[in-house]
Parts: sequence; structure tokens; C-alpha cells
Amino acid sequence: MTSQARSAFMAGFLLPATVLYALFVVMPVVQAFAFSLYRWRGISANRTFVGLENFRQLFADPIVWLAIRHNLLLFVGTSVVILAMAIALAHAIGHETGTARFLRAVYLFPQVISLVVVAILWMFILNPSFGILNATLKAAGLERWAIAWLGERSTALASIGVAHVWHALGFYIMLFAAALRTIPPDVMEAATLDGAMGLTRLRYVTLPMLWAVLRIALVYMAIGTMNIFSLVFLMTQGGPDRATEVMLTYLYEQAFKHSEFGYATALAVVNFVLVMALSGAILALFRHNPQEGRA
Amino acid sequence: MSTLYRWLINICLALFALSVVVPLLWVLMTSFKTGAEIFTAPWGLPHTLQWQNFVRAWQEAGIARYFMNSLIVTLAALAILLPVGAMAAYIFARYPFRGANWLFGAFLGGMMFPLFLTIVPLFLLLARLGLLDTLHGLTLVYVAYSLPFTVFVLTGFFQTLPQEMLEAALIDGCGHARAFWKVMLPLAKPGIIVVGVFNAIGLWNEYPLALVIMSSDERRTLPLGIANLLMVEQYQSDWGALFAGLVIVMLPVLLVYWLFRDRIHETMVAGALKG
Repeated sequence: MTSQARSAFMAGFLLPATVLYALFVVMPVVQAFAFSLYRWRGISANRTFVGLENFRQLFADPIVWLAIRHNLLLFVGTSVVILAMAIALAHAIGHETGTARFLRAVYLFPQVISLVVVAILWMFILNPSFGILNATLKAAGLERWAIAWLGERSTALASIGVAHVWHALGFYIMLFAAALRTIPPDVMEAATLDGAMGLTRLRYVTLPMLWAVLRIALVYMAIGTMNIFSLVFLMTQGGPDRATEVMLTYLYEQAFKHSEFGYATALAVVNFVLVMALSGAILALFRHNPQEGRA
Repeated sequence: MSTLYRWLINICLALFALSVVVPLLWVLMTSFKTGAEIFTAPWGLPHTLQWQNFVRAWQEAGIARYFMNSLIVTLAALAILLPVGAMAAYIFARYPFRGANWLFGAFLGGMMFPLFLTIVPLFLLLARLGLLDTLHGLTLVYVAYSLPFTVFVLTGFFQTLPQEMLEAALIDGCGHARAFWKVMLPLAKPGIIVVGVFNAIGLWNEYPLALVIMSSDERRTLPLGIANLLMVEQYQSDWGALFAGLVIVMLPVLLVYWLFRDRIHETMVAGALKG
């Protein structure tokens, strides 16, 4: 086969994927940065270049700050809970036994069902009139704890956090369990012989050996909570009274309810920059393993 | 290890498993109840199984149509995605060329950008192309956004196939393209199946893109349709049908997942740890 024919074959094989990807993914990414510099209302070509005006307006918008705050609260709150539970359960699930594999499959159920189902399921659990949470509280005699969880400003965000943890936890258990299996058993044995058990072993042996995965997991959690949308959009629409408004629900409102395309794209760019900055900060902060060299 | 400690650990593992399974069983149980039972006895078993809930969901609430739309979009997207993705992955894995790393990096970069960064430009692009609110528009978008993961996994898979097979085929007078379709692609079947199942589950469940792209009721996909039923006032009185709808969305996914659970798990871990 001539080299010309070979090149034609390669180009032909690469072309369909490249064209689709360039048209629907790469071009919109590039455009996103450009559109954020325009005032653009509605689908019409009616747009004006306004430079950084959208960003100026955005940083003066109290709802944007509120949304960023909620995203960060969700990140901090859920990642602490997820890390603690995932590491403990991954540790407990132990080696590849039949039971472990069965449990792992069950733990991943929330990950494979649609977020729409997760959202509706939790709305039903938390429903004040027939939800199982309040029914259980009433049965236990805790009547005054039975409130409209998603309707109260004080509990709505935390309720969404609980649904998010339920959805995401299985993935992190699995991730840490896989990482734990890469620790050579003789290291664990040596630690046990040295008398390191339980929490001591977790702190001085297991955690340091999990460090690389811990870093990745934190970055994943940051990306997941900074880009949270479906759960919030379905469970509360950002309410009550914006108590659960996050970056992406506000973006959706600006773009698809008010047709403020320029402003919404500026929000998307800010959100992207925030995610990158947060991920970068996590990677830098967790670069050094505090136990390294001490063991 | 002490027995007490072992017991404590087992209880924790069982508790989390229950927290996953009990809500799902509750949905299943509630889908067989009458509207009155749902309110009066949230924990009680259904008095008689209300199969009519499923009939009403399927026929009156429009689930049948949403189900078909989801099926069409998912299958059409896979029918384009798998060959197109495999072809590109094969070149990246086996035919080094100048700029290959750069192009491969561009494909992987797609996994880094959050969906909502592109949602407004994408929406406007589809509007200009006349693809907004069409099943083929949604299909093409699904293919494009599934390409990074698909190309990433399949490239890794093609790299593991023995080079001798290709050489033998070429010596036997096979062209490069023919060698791909007749020899390499069949060898890559296990990889294609995993990526196919993975994408099928993801696309069947997809919500935000469908929310933005589809607007008319008759073209809604299943997650979109279910979410809409919840928000439309008239159906809030028919909780039984709504719960039945939830079962209809979940069941196919859970069945497919259960069949391929170990392979899916491996792919997830590998993707997360390498990616």
C-alpha cells in the first residue's frame, strides 16, 4: 500500500469523529469565551459587544455570590461526609470476596439510576405529607422534627446535600476499595505486628498510602459539587427564596428563562474558572503527603 | 481482629446497603398502591397490587412515547458513536502520525470542560442548524459529548491487541480498512461492549442536555418526561402513576447494570484512576 493510500485511510477514519467533536464540542467551548463579552438577548442576531461589562455586572450581583457560597458549602459539607464514610466502608469491605463484590454492586445502584430518579426519590422521602422520613419520625414520637425539609430555608440545602451524598458515595467507596487493594498485604501485616490497629493504622499506614487517590477524589468532588445542577433544579429550583440557588441553576434561569445569553455565558466562564482554580488549589495543597519520610 | 470489631464493621456495611435498597424497594412498593394508601400508610404494604398504575402511566401519562424516544435516541447514538469512536481510537492506537498527541489531547480535553460551559453556544448552534427540539439533533449532540470517554477507553483497548494479527492480515492482502473491519474490530468486541453499555446507561439517564434541547412534549425523553409529570399540576394527584413511571425508568438500567456489573466497575475505576 502506498503512503498516500495509507494517509487517506487514516484521514478517513479520523474524520467523522473529529468533525462531530469539533462542531458540537470544541467550537462551542471557544464561542463560550467570546459570547461572554457580548450583551445578547434572545435568539436573534441582536448582540452588542460590551467587553467585560457582563463580568462587572456579575460580580455586583448578590445572587451570584449567594450561589457560589452554596456551591462551596455543598463541596465542603458533602466531601467531608463522603470521605469519612467512603474510606471507612472501603476499609470494611476488605478483600475481593463474593460478599464484597455483591455489596459493591448494590452500592453503585444510586450511581447508575438517573439523577432524575434520585431527585424525585428524595423529594418523596422528604415529602411532608407522605414521605417516609416524616412518617418514621412521627412513629418514633418525634413529631416536631417532622418538617417540610425542602421547603424550609434552613434545611433545603442540607437536604440536597444528603441526596448528593447518597448518589455519589458508592463511587468513592469503590475508588478507595480499589486503591486499598493495591497496598501490599505485608505492609498491613507489618503494621499489625508493630501493634498499629484500628484508627492508628488508618492514620499512619492506610491514609498515607491512599494519598494519591485522596487527591484525585477531592478534585472529583470539587468538580461534582461546583457543577451540581439536576438535583437542585428538580428538587427545589433554587428555592425556597434562593436558599439553594447554585451557579448552574442561576445560569439556566438567565439563559433559558430570561434569554440573557451573554450574561449566562459569562456565568459559565466564571464557574469554569472557579472549578479550575479550586482543583488547582486542592492539587497544590495535597501535593505533599504529611506522613511521607516519617514512617 | 476482634469479633466485636468485625461485627461493627459488618453492621456498617449492611446499613449502607439497606439505605440504598430500602428507598428503591419503597418506590417499587408504592408504585402498586392506590392514591389513598400512599398518603395514609407510607410504610404499609399495598392492599391489592394496583397494576393499573402502570397502565395509566404507560398510556395516559405518555410514558410509552417518552420510552420510545429514549430508546430511539440511545440506540441511534450508539449506532453512530461506536463505529465512529472505534475508528478514531484505532488510528490513535495503531497509526502514529505527526500531531496525533495533540489531536488525542484535544479529544480528552472534552472530559475536562463542564457541560454547562458550552450549553448556550450549543443551544444557539442547534437553533441555527434547525436541530433544536429534534431527535436527530439530540442524537448528534449525544454522540459528540460521548466521544471523549469512548475514544479514551477504546484507544487503550486497541493498544492491548496483538500487532501480529494486523500484520498477518496485511500480508494476506487485506487493505488497512478491511483489516480493521474484519480482524481488529471483532477482536475488540469485549471493549466495544463495555463502552456501549456504559454509554447506553449514561444516555438513557441523561437530563440536562435533553432539558435544554427538547421543548415539545411529544419528543421528550424518559427522564425529561418523568420530571415534567412531577411539575405539571394535573399529575400531582396521580402519585401511583408517577411512582410506576419511576419504576419504568429505573428497571431497564438496573437490569443491564446487574448483567455487566463487574466490567462496568473495572471501567469506572480505571477511568477514574488513570483519567
